[in-house]
Amino acid sequence: MMRAAHITACVCLLSTASLAAAQASARAGEWASYRDAYRAMVVFDKYGGPKTQLLHHLQLVPRDKGALGDNLQLALGGKTVQTSLALDPLGRTTLPLLKAAYDENAVLSPNRGIGAFALRLRVSIAPQADNSYDGAELRAACEQALGFARHVDATARTRQCVGVRMVFPKKGVEVAVRVRATSGAEQSLPVAPAAGEVDADFPSVSYRFGAEQARVITYSAPLAIVPLFE
Amino acid sequence: MNKLFALVLAVTGSAASAQTPTTNPMPDGSRDMYAGLGIVSAPRYEGAEHSKLRALPVLQVQWSNGVFVSGMSAGMHLSQQPLVEFGPLLNLHPRRTESGSGAGVGVVEAAGTTFQPGPVLMRTSGNRLTGMDEISLRPELGGFLNVYLAPAWRLTSSVLGGAGKDRNGVRAEIGIQRLAIDIAPHHTLAFSGGFTFVNSAYNRSYFGVSPAESASSGHQTYQPDGGLKDVHVGARWNWALSPSWMLTSSVQASRLTNDARRSPLVERPSNVTVSTAFAYRF
Repeated sequence: MMRAAHITACVCLLSTASLAAAQASARAGEWASYRDAYRAMVVFDKYGGPKTQLLHHLQLVPRDKGALGDNLQLALGGKTVQTSLALDPLGRTTLPLLKAAYDENAVLSPNRGIGAFALRLRVSIAPQADNSYDGAELRAACEQALGFARHVDATARTRQCVGVRMVFPKKGVEVAVRVRATSGAEQSLPVAPAAGEVDADFPSVSYRFGAEQARVITYSAPLAIVPLFE
Repeated sequence: MNKLFALVLAVTGSAASAQTPTTNPMPDGSRDMYAGLGIVSAPRYEGAEHSKLRALPVLQVQWSNGVFVSGMSAGMHLSQQPLVEFGPLLNLHPRRTESGSGAGVGVVEAAGTTFQPGPVLMRTSGNRLTGMDEISLRPELGGFLNVYLAPAWRLTSSVLGGAGKDRNGVRAEIGIQRLAIDIAPHHTLAFSGGFTFVNSAYNRSYFGVSPAESASSGHQTYQPDGGLKDVHVGARWNWALSPSWMLTSSVQASRLTNDARRSPLVERPSNVTVSTAFAYRF
């Protein structure tokens, strides 16, 4: 189901974010500029288009995919600003937009050595508390993400929403997603890693939009719902 | 590292003199500033055979209201859209003195066929600007328009007027930039290329020879027309040494074309400018 031609919102926004790729093989070099992170994140805040069904995060992407692990945090340090940002299993966090941290040219650095890493803006679709998604609502959410992608990336103008990809935790939950048609018929969607994506080592389930109305039901909450563009 | 780091250096007379930094969203009342010092090896003037090594100040400041200072240029970002940048632009066009910005004393060149016999002092000085009028530092006013083809690809353009002896020289630049390619941790490369078009007043000021100048310099009278003046390409390497310190280095090559290239003042049509500087981010 997942084709190489898929361009996910994450990829689209990655380069737009243009964050400093704070990469280093030495511990001393593991840092990124808060100003650059701020600059990328504030674009979403200032975006005036529809975004009610979207989430945006700062995502840490280590070169070594196994480096994220548990309890990884991103330390924000300036002259007066000192705080830690907890990362979720995908390496995402909410970056506080602080004028003081900007003015102090604060630094973002992991709380333990993880090697080279990059920071990027990641936009995803907000999950539902009941784990039940109307297909039309998913499409509308995807269109919101595409609207933002077009706002910041001219190459996104020729792309269309084709589906979503749900990313689940590696362990501790049952990964199962079903599509229920209006007729009542149900179909299980296959679980497969999304090759080439930043979260390729997480279980993923892709759902492509169809002509018929349907409801997507998950048996556990996804970590992220990624819009898919082609 | 990222497009923000595309420092524009105050390289006198280089194609970078009117470049604009990318927009930089920031909190109200904040600014982002780089300042530093380095060295540059640049031709004594456009078309000069020999280069001159000199100190290179580095300055780029952006304020939250969109105003920026970038090397010899200043302007203001007016666009609210991420894919387009435009606004007014002010630039300082470097002066041209008879000594050709200094240093080329003692260089003896073979007499070219375009030279008329002139005073012995002129023919042996090796300085083709000897006897030419001085052109003062000129403020240029105009505007810029940049369009992003993709997040890392930017079409750039600017039009500036006010240079030259009579302040009626106009030049327009159009180019493309590839912003920020990560080549290693904290190391990025950026590339650019473009064309410069000028009107006849500009070319006559900086590449022409008036009858009076002909008498004093020994060059043939030369009245160039406007048109494409040069093509140029450049590369910049930024090394972020720390969150505050950066080593920024660049190489730019330009080639004069058409009437500018045929000027008797031009010793060689191709010039290379190389610079490196340390900059501190405030």
